[in-house]
Amino acid sequence: MSAADVQSAPGRTRRGALSRLFGLRETGVALALIALCVVLSLATESFLTQTNLLNVGRQVSLLGIMAVGMTFVLISGEVDLSIGSIYAFAGLATGMLIVGGWALLPALAAGLLCGAVIGAINGLLSTYGRLPSLIATLGMLSIVRGAALILTDGRPVTVNERLGADPDTLAAFEFMGQGRLFDVIPMQLVFFAAVAAVAWAVLAGTTFGFRVFAVGGSAKAARISGIRIEAVKIWAFTVMGTLAALAGILAMAFLPSGQAGRTGLGLELDVIAATIIGGASLAGGEGTILGTILGVLIIGVMRNGLVLMGVSPFVQELMIGLVIIVAVAIDKWSRRRGG
Amino acid sequence: MTDGDAILEVRGLTKRFPGVLALDDVSLAFRPGEVHAVIGENGAGKSTLMHVLGGDLSPDAGAVYLGGAPVRLAGPLDAQSRGIGVVYQELALCRNLTVAENVTMPTVAARGAVRPMPRAAMRDMTRRALARLGMGHVDPDTPVSRLSVAEMQMVEIARAIGRDVRVLVLDEPNSALSPRESEELFRVVRQLRGEGVCVLYVSHYLDEVLGLADRISVLRDGRHVETMNAADADEDRLIRAMVGRDLVGATPFALSPAAEASADAPAVLEVAGLACAPDVADVSFTLRAGEILGVGGLPDSGKDSLGDALFGLRPRSGSVRVDGREVGASSGAALRAGLAYIPADRRNGGMLSTMSVAHNVVASTLGAVSWAGILRRRAVERTARAQVARLDARISSLGQRIATLSGGNQQKIILSRGLVSDPRVLILHEPTRGVDVGAKAEIYAILRDVAAEGVGIVMITSEMTELVLQASRVVVVRAGRLSDELTGAAITEEAIMQRAVP
Repeated sequence: MSAADVQSAPGRTRRGALSRLFGLRETGVALALIALCVVLSLATESFLTQTNLLNVGRQVSLLGIMAVGMTFVLISGEVDLSIGSIYAFAGLATGMLIVGGWALLPALAAGLLCGAVIGAINGLLSTYGRLPSLIATLGMLSIVRGAALILTDGRPVTVNERLGADPDTLAAFEFMGQGRLFDVIPMQLVFFAAVAAVAWAVLAGTTFGFRVFAVGGSAKAARISGIRIEAVKIWAFTVMGTLAALAGILAMAFLPSGQAGRTGLGLELDVIAATIIGGASLAGGEGTILGTILGVLIIGVMRNGLVLMGVSPFVQELMIGLVIIVAVAIDKWSRRRGG
Repeated sequence: MTDGDAILEVRGLTKRFPGVLALDDVSLAFRPGEVHAVIGENGAGKSTLMHVLGGDLSPDAGAVYLGGAPVRLAGPLDAQSRGIGVVYQELALCRNLTVAENVTMPTVAARGAVRPMPRAAMRDMTRRALARLGMGHVDPDTPVSRLSVAEMQMVEIARAIGRDVRVLVLDEPNSALSPRESEELFRVVRQLRGEGVCVLYVSHYLDEVLGLADRISVLRDGRHVETMNAADADEDRLIRAMVGRDLVGATPFALSPAAEASADAPAVLEVAGLACAPDVADVSFTLRAGEILGVGGLPDSGKDSLGDALFGLRPRSGSVRVDGREVGASSGAALRAGLAYIPADRRNGGMLSTMSVAHNVVASTLGAVSWAGILRRRAVERTARAQVARLDARISSLGQRIATLSGGNQQKIILSRGLVSDPRVLILHEPTRGVDVGAKAEIYAILRDVAAEGVGIVMITSEMTELVLQASRVVVVRAGRLSDELTGAAITEEAIMQRAVP
């Protein structure tokens, strides 16, 4: 195709210039989000208010933190179904430690470590264990959920002073989940923004990020380039597990209670949906943090808008499903046209 | 252009893809009982033409005429029911099904779900089709997965000829066949021609086209350049027509023999007793700095596993030494020791296909373009730009995805990834597969430059001309072992063939 490709090169450059800021894929999602926001601003009084927008920001934060982790896993060519369980386990474990009188930082560290270890186990099973990650993490979904049930004996965990938490620790813990930075920005949103910023920098600007893309896009070529596929994937799962734990801990701090049989059930599907809407591919090698943020926002804004417009929650579920299909379909079709 | 005798004709065929005019007002006529070769560089439009004839693509303008009447091919099934059978380059058989199920698939599909085809009829039809191809010994109930590549190809042809084929299109049919298997294929092609079938034959191999075809049509940049009788053609004329210019001093077909590495050059790679399941049994050789060692052999000889084995991608036994030091059996160890590897399959081994040109160049040298794990954008760009310039790869920007480049430019980028780490030894497997003539010549020139700088090159290839003209020494793999080596004037196609065939 040599001659043909050279001829078509200017066309590509022009298209690149139009969407230099985002790249073609994010542009589509961004336009969809903007359109959604415009419609909601016109259709409702309350959408375009600071209170509501910050509220949306808080509501999507936990989903967003996990979606950032999922972006790593999907780009590396794997998938993680166990994150809802990690979310529950880490949140409950941290809550129990604080109730048990632990100081904040050790309790947080322990909770995050739980997530990291479970993530690493997912990674080991999916690489050296030679299991498809779909299967490995499906198993871990049940195992970790079961572990959380055993840990809590199936009883709700509530974090409060009466049950033994240190008052200062409790205040700090609750601030993480419920507080607002400068009394304005929800702390959850601050965590999400920080996680996203770091992840963006890692994915776009470090050798680790490079390797994640390489192993997902073409495993053999990555190996020939000296990249240790197993190590990269295990790290991607570890990042995912840690971020799922962080989200679970923040959820615990927000409520502040949880129950092993209920917390975070089915969350993995929302997270995968948001990440896919943002342009990550289940086949690996594709995805960006910016796209994932946009995907998370589309789901969040959509939910919020439907609530504001008084649409029944049943219809909301249906609409979310449609968005997933339409968003991914548009992406696939546009890419096929572009060759 | 009209041709009274034509069984199949295309007139004014135009097909546009985004950014590419794949077919530009192409008119061709194909007669019954002829072998009509269609040749051209990659991207000339051959494949698009075949897909249009197969009913797989519909043209933007122009039409297909069958027996003088215009037809609208609604799909592959429609084309086949009208007597046009197509065998595409990539094998397209259902490996989990039997030979009979594959051969009768179009017939079964045409009958629809309401009138299933009796098993006995399927076997019967298959047996007859196979017998016609001289493949009577294949049991229709054999699962396709148990057949050799050559047999699978015949099954594909059996499916394409169906009950009553008038035009058979073969798209690069022998790219995966050994010379002996190719001979068998040619025999079948000639036989079908004798039966009055029009065989459209798409190929890269000019010598084989000249030997087989009655007429030859040349496409270039989507346009029909000329159609000539094979008797009036020779390789030079075909190349000129394909390339549209003379390859000044760079034609791969007329290079001076590769320079001999001097005998006292140091050994860079010493391989002893290398074995690697399933088909490398016992390979030993020594490679000196600055030489190009050609490795030939038939498919299934073990040749195609040798690259992976040398680079440590698969478990192996035996010893691989670079500059006298033993190399561990992992790609990381191989890279550190100074080996670089360019595998045969670009899509699933060579390219980081979702990544940019620049990232593909630097993938094996991340340490040199990063600081504490942080990529230095400038260093990445500088390295990539230097390599792109060195190999004269045609790209529109460093950020362009490698998958959007032509085969030749992809290969140059992959080659640059191997070279960027200044390797001692470069292992190449099918270095010019799917690369057009112009880029081929450039790649050969690059390899010679690299060798002249003292790098040892192992070139594993199925292309005879590559072995004869590019290698300073040639060894041939048979049953997992190496033949004696050929040097200088002793490197001839005959000598290589003699050592390759069991």
